[in-house]
Amino acid sequence: MTEIQVTITNASGLHARPAAQFVQKAASFKSKVRIATGNKVADGKSILAVMSMGLKQNTQITITTEGEDEIECCKALEDMIKSNFGEH
Amino acid sequence: MVGVVIVSHSQKVAEGIKEMALQMAAPQQKVVAAGGMADGGIGTDAFKVSEAIISANTGDGVAIMVDLGSAVLSTETAFEFLDDELRANVKIADAPILEGAISAVVEASLGSSLTAVIATAEGARTLNKC
Repeated sequence: MTEIQVTITNASGLHARPAAQFVQKAASFKSKVRIATGNKVADGKSILAVMSMGLKQNTQITITTEGEDEIECCKALEDMIKSNFGEH
Repeated sequence: MVGVVIVSHSQKVAEGIKEMALQMAAPQQKVVAAGGMADGGIGTDAFKVSEAIISANTGDGVAIMVDLGSAVLSTETAFEFLDDELRANVKIADAPILEGAISAVVEASLGSSLTAVIATAEGARTLNKC
């Protein structure tokens, strides 16, 4: 199991397009992906679950990955969030 | 990849939802708008819908998002125009058209099955906004 904490920095948060990008990136790996914040946990490969979290800018989340490619998967998701999903 | 067709009474609504949904889609994802009548007026046109389904199909089936009332009837009529193989591989999602379309497109872009795409679209019914 690999776990990282990361703060969402892009202006629109993990909604709509960024949520879709996140889910698509997560789904490209074999590992299970979970996002947690406070008492909420979501399947990182489910667009509805991710959008339902309502993650806004400056929210800190914990990403947990589990599986044969968990390290690469975690790193790719972290990089994506840190790059602000290409937003300016 | 499962194709997604958007059936609305308004051509502009169908095109607008397609435009939004494509923002979330993988590059090869098919999203086809089937809005309005042949003359551009408000309504749904079974022939237009059947053409849209055919062009959205890449062999994995097509999920159809509808707005209100006769959009469902026109889509069911459109199914009659399809060959048997394709007809067995199309389904209307009982979902809100915009949220359903976006959810469906994201799911389809992952390479999921038609059943999974429809389930995700229908899950958008309970997506809370605030």
